[in-house]
Amino acid sequence: MPSDNRRTDRRFPSRRFANPLGELDYVDYKDVALLRTFVSEKGKIRSRRVTRVTARQQRLITAAVKNAREMALLPYPSNLPHSRS
Amino acid sequence: MRRYEVMVILDPSLDERTVAPSLEQFLAVVRNDGGSVEKVDVWGKRRLSYDIAKNSEGIYAVIDLTAQPATVKELDRQLNLTEAILRTKVLRPEVH
Repeated sequence: MPSDNRRTDRRFPSRRFANPLGELDYVDYKDVALLRTFVSEKGKIRSRRVTRVTARQQRLITAAVKNAREMALLPYPSNLPHSRS
Repeated sequence: MRRYEVMVILDPSLDERTVAPSLEQFLAVVRNDGGSVEKVDVWGKRRLSYDIAKNSEGIYAVIDLTAQPATVKELDRQLNLTEAILRTKVLRPEVH
């Protein structure tokens, strides 16, 4: 039955997103290009569900983004997308 | 003695070539207290993500140094007393 097959396929999803950071366990707040990939257009930090990083990496990213914001390297979240590049 | 990384944002109206020498004056505190300055990296002018003290640009500099905790505290205090310095951040790279 085709419906059964579809359910089985869903239980074993074939699309596994690669972890963009790999084994990396250090995130530099000065690396703006890297941090930009973990921040939405509005300046919010992307969730782990979206970025597929480990819990430890997410904590490091969060700390790095917040440090970068303090030094005006990244914007604080706002409703205006891409206020400045 | 601990390793520190100090990031400084300076007033964009300054001449970029005078930044390194003027930072040296502040870093004398570190050297006099037995610390050492490993590197002074002046990034140059960069656009700020948001205005700081009505400036939309800033001159960034990153200093790597080794010193006693009290020495760095004093350095940070003196930097913040200066009008031409918009913002500072002191981090210990080992702690992330």
